[in-house]
Amino acid sequence: MTVHDQALISGIPDLRNVSLDRLAELGDTVLADSITLYLQRLKDNGVPVYRFNSGI
Amino acid sequence: MITTHQLPAEAFAALASGDGNPAVVRHLGEVQRSKHLMLLHAIAAEAETVHPGSRETAAVRESLDLLRAVQVADPDTLAWLFGLPHIGAWTHDCLERRTQGLRPDFGYLAAAAAAAAVRARIRFELDVPVRDGRVLFPGLGYFHGFDRDSSVRLRGDGVRLTVGAITEGQCTDLMPEDDSGGSVPHWQGTHVVRATAAGRTWTVLLETTDQCLNRFALPMAALTAEEITSWRSRLQSAWEVLVRHHGWVADSIAAGVSVIVPLAAGSDTDLDSATTPAAFGAIAASLPSDPVLMAEILVHEFQHIKLSGLQDMVSLTTPCDTRVYAPWRPDPRPVGGLLQGVYAYLGIARFWDAQRHVETGPDDIFRAQVTFERSRSMIESATATLLRTDCLTSTGTRFVSTLRDKGKRLGAATVPANVRAIAREATLDHWLTWQLRHAAIDATTVAQLAAAYQDGEPLSGLALPEVRIEEERRKVAAATRSRVLNMRFLEPQRYRELREAGMPELSEAERFLISGQTSMAVQSYRDEISVSREPLPEAWTGLALSIHLLAETPLLSAFATRLPLMVDLHACLLAQGVMSDPLELAAWLA
Repeated sequence: MTVHDQALISGIPDLRNVSLDRLAELGDTVLADSITLYLQRLKDNGVPVYRFNSGI
Repeated sequence: MITTHQLPAEAFAALASGDGNPAVVRHLGEVQRSKHLMLLHAIAAEAETVHPGSRETAAVRESLDLLRAVQVADPDTLAWLFGLPHIGAWTHDCLERRTQGLRPDFGYLAAAAAAAAVRARIRFELDVPVRDGRVLFPGLGYFHGFDRDSSVRLRGDGVRLTVGAITEGQCTDLMPEDDSGGSVPHWQGTHVVRATAAGRTWTVLLETTDQCLNRFALPMAALTAEEITSWRSRLQSAWEVLVRHHGWVADSIAAGVSVIVPLAAGSDTDLDSATTPAAFGAIAASLPSDPVLMAEILVHEFQHIKLSGLQDMVSLTTPCDTRVYAPWRPDPRPVGGLLQGVYAYLGIARFWDAQRHVETGPDDIFRAQVTFERSRSMIESATATLLRTDCLTSTGTRFVSTLRDKGKRLGAATVPANVRAIAREATLDHWLTWQLRHAAIDATTVAQLAAAYQDGEPLSGLALPEVRIEEERRKVAAATRSRVLNMRFLEPQRYRELREAGMPELSEAERFLISGQTSMAVQSYRDEISVSREPLPEAWTGLALSIHLLAETPLLSAFATRLPLMVDLHACLLAQGVMSDPLELAAWLA
């Protein structure tokens, strides 16, 4: 299997089947790492707005 | 143990080709739900740490308790709530306020929890904020008629909701408004559009109230009843265009675009649209004049939505300060901005590729053909720029290479020669103007070259200066000419009217250029520059464009590669009181 055939692993935790109660218990694990990663990305890039003006 | 989201290889390949079927788009939406939950967790944890004893933190706890109850009673409603772009925008607002040293708007979380509780029909009591006399229920609507900013107690028994002492209503009636008429006093449902065509439906909210989504550079528009009707009609017609002619994207848009934010237009001729990664699923736009343009905006902005969703999952670019040319923007762009732009243009090119075969009026066909050709060429040049930057990750390089190949396949389509010529002129005009605005050259080297030119020395053997990109190196007043060049295909009728009126806003040289009298244009620009005591960068771009359009000239290479140097040399000589002939300068530099 080449790298092109492999699924890409993201940094966003899969919380689809996680209850809100359990979320609090996960605070210091993978979730904390993901949050740190995401906040760093926001710090580096800000929150962009992709704006386009097509008036002539 | 939790894992992280994954993206299958085939979904990545589809997205890189500009595609992404509804299942892929829904997958991106699932990732956003997880992201919003993750950010909510971070915001709530920080409230406990930074403001542990405050009333707001207590309210956050109460709101979270209610959300837990909603999750137990109706998990789909919790998924609905966390899929709203409103929630994404609010979480990012909280994070932005934190970096500014401001307290997040925790009251919004109570409003969101109340909206979910009403939708899930569960029993609850909660205080929610009153803002501008309104009690907001994100994604549903708002109660109005409250006279000050404060808070109000909500009491729901699963069937009816009581709002303080002001009003009450059936939970089933507290829904978005589809123009069928509301029955709850003080309630205004968020306007919803249900567009249908050939049995396919797209349901989308028109958000004009929630300030979390008022974050698109232009202000959110407050719409009159008449304007709401116009929006409904335009979105319905645009949906028909998409379903009939753009099957590759219609259902994916229905799966991924849940909110339209109408923007107040800057002027009658302005057409603005925007998206942000903070609000996945929301498109902001001013109201376009026709359904085809509305459909194009949806395709264009949906590309941004997909790419932002993908970039939340994988890094395509590395941190990098490089600024580069983007063929659709007047300013130098960061690599991430160029990537977003070219991805949007892949959607635009595909859109007009289909439109050029279905339009029926001559002007509409011409607009579709030239816009297709211009967009297609932008993909070619922008992907080449991206691949040269060294600012792409290996995944980013794969993505851009796939995108480039898709663009090339579009290029295999043929357009008539006159269409290619008009598209090329608009492309060249943009590139030449951009170069003069942003290419900076070391003044000492320019002075040395000016001295050599005056001494009659040949260029060969002399060191040529490095070119760097600056925000605004020279002011170039070429907007009128560029507008008219674009008007030829974007609004042919307006162009004909302007031409009949003699195009009074343009110089003689510009009129020659636009009417295709290229040799006359070259001479006229040459005369303008030769006798002027000012540098005239806009005349230089006009001259360079005219030279490019001449069939054969030995001066082309100088104008193609050394225009900013030529202009700086001319200005340097002028400053010394030496009037120089632009074509002689070009011949020396060629």
